[in-house]
Amino acid sequence: MSAVIETKDLYKIYKDQASEVHAVDGVSLCILQGEFTAIVGPSGSGKTTLLNLIGGLDTPTSGSLFIEGEDISRLSPKELIDFRLHNIGFIFQSYNLIPVLTAKENVSFIMDMQGQKRKEADRRSLELLEAVGLGERTDSRPAKLSGGQQQRVAVARALASKPRFILADEPTANLDSKSAENLLDMMEKLNKQEQTTFLFSTHDPRIMAKARRIITLEDGRVVSDIVK
Amino acid sequence: MKTILIPLAWKNLWRNKLRSGMILGAIAIGLFAGTFMTAFMSGWISRSVESDIRNQLSYIQIHHPEFAANSDINACFRQEEMMSRIASVAEITGASYRLELNGMLASAANAVGISVKGVDVADEKASFQLYQTIPDSCGSFLPDDGRMQIVISRKTADKLKVRLRSKLVLTFQDSEGEIQSVAFRVGGIFKTTNTSFDEGSVFVRKSDIQAYTGLPEGAVHELTLMTGGFETCRSALAQLQTLLPEMDVQSWDALQPELGLMFSWIDLMNGVILAIFLAALSFGIINTMLMAVLERTRELGMLACIGMSRRRIFRMIMLETIFLTGLGSCFGILLGMLVIGYSAKSGIDLTFLLEDQFEEFGFASVVYPVMQLKTFLEIVALVILAGILSAIYPARKALKLNPLEAIRK
Repeated sequence: MSAVIETKDLYKIYKDQASEVHAVDGVSLCILQGEFTAIVGPSGSGKTTLLNLIGGLDTPTSGSLFIEGEDISRLSPKELIDFRLHNIGFIFQSYNLIPVLTAKENVSFIMDMQGQKRKEADRRSLELLEAVGLGERTDSRPAKLSGGQQQRVAVARALASKPRFILADEPTANLDSKSAENLLDMMEKLNKQEQTTFLFSTHDPRIMAKARRIITLEDGRVVSDIVK
Repeated sequence: MKTILIPLAWKNLWRNKLRSGMILGAIAIGLFAGTFMTAFMSGWISRSVESDIRNQLSYIQIHHPEFAANSDINACFRQEEMMSRIASVAEITGASYRLELNGMLASAANAVGISVKGVDVADEKASFQLYQTIPDSCGSFLPDDGRMQIVISRKTADKLKVRLRSKLVLTFQDSEGEIQSVAFRVGGIFKTTNTSFDEGSVFVRKSDIQAYTGLPEGAVHELTLMTGGFETCRSALAQLQTLLPEMDVQSWDALQPELGLMFSWIDLMNGVILAIFLAALSFGIINTMLMAVLERTRELGMLACIGMSRRRIFRMIMLETIFLTGLGSCFGILLGMLVIGYSAKSGIDLTFLLEDQFEEFGFASVVYPVMQLKTFLEIVALVILAGILSAIYPARKALKLNPLEAIRK
């Protein structure tokens, strides 16, 4: 398996007049294609900061960050936006769908931004919504969907751009246990069937139970890296 | 991307239907008010000016320079000669050669100072509409029935306490300085919208008065010329001033500068009204779009996270504003066209405000709004431009959002 994400001595340091905080403190890790990995740790351990760095939403203070061999820490903000569009799928804690668009339009939106043809985008949107179990709700707006269904649409949207990996920040935090369970089963299935790489930041023991690799952070450092 | 950005911007517009509806209404009513006010003022002033021109002033007048300076009865010119000299000016649609005398008009009860216009009835009727201001019950404009007739205004009739067919005596100095007195019967009583003209002017047949002036046959003091309108007037004026360098050739706005001033004033007023409207509109749009951006901070942050470029976010906000302004403008234009179109035919009667006091100041009391297509399009273009410029600040605000901070909100 090839490395999708590779970090070397990655640091993110926040400074103020009195002190400096090492949110990410010399993290070196490698995520391989098809992994289903959870980054865990107590609040303030640096999970979200690390995920933001890997997702190109924030820039490291020092160190290198390679995505399939490309050092994205050297990209300009404009290049980073384009990089995110074509390479990374995002799933947010609170779904963050566009409320005025239907489920299908939310999924095809990202393909439109990539410049794909409308017909192809529509076809793939329907396919993905079918895959996440929402084939019957393609024309529903987010307000008409439950939290679990909205997060499924968010998963379909994340997959739509054919990303190299998907970053999911606490994806089950706002879901009831049944919806969370269903969502995790669905993501696990996609991971196994299509070798989609998933990287979660989570507190949720259900995700930890399903994850095949668990990286634990404390004070910005990797304190354990267990492959099941 | 174009395909989804346009429907997305359109749908975003209707997120808060009440707010969008209110600003749409404000744009529509503002645009309507701006266009209607402009049309109303233009119509009012144009009608007053045109009324003066068509009733008595004409577009262009030609006098002997000395007559223009001191109304000397001997400062006249020959009608036949003038006709041949101006024949080449194609813009002229009507000409009336007048004798113009200053004198005293007396009845048994009173006397007033007056300007007497000796006219050829056919030429006068072909050029002016004053004869139409004489109601059927008040006689007619100098019919050729053999009697010495005079047409006076309602104001003059009231001052002299006379009515139709009353006898009046006109006294004036002839070309030799001798006092001449001529008796006339009131043949018609007119009433225009210009009170000062009404108070100072009477009309008689040129053929009736010519013999008493001591002037040679064919001598006149004033040539009034009509043209197709204000534009053709300028062209005709330039030609006449070249053809007649020794004469005093003046257009309506030089003869009565206050009328020309009214036109300039109306342009200024329309400009001020439009500027106030555009400023108010801009603040309304900025406020609405700023609220729309600020309450979507998290969503805009998400869009930036998943890869929507700043340029596209900027374009989306701009599109929303253009839709908002464009739609509001469409409603405003429609409303403006309907109301202006209707009132341009039916007129707006202002007598309920000040009865006929407007007319004492030379303003028509019934207004027919007038909107030129060019002015209309200019206003629409300015409104859309104001909308686009107003969108820049909210759109820039959206650009400055930090995606990471925005998404946490």
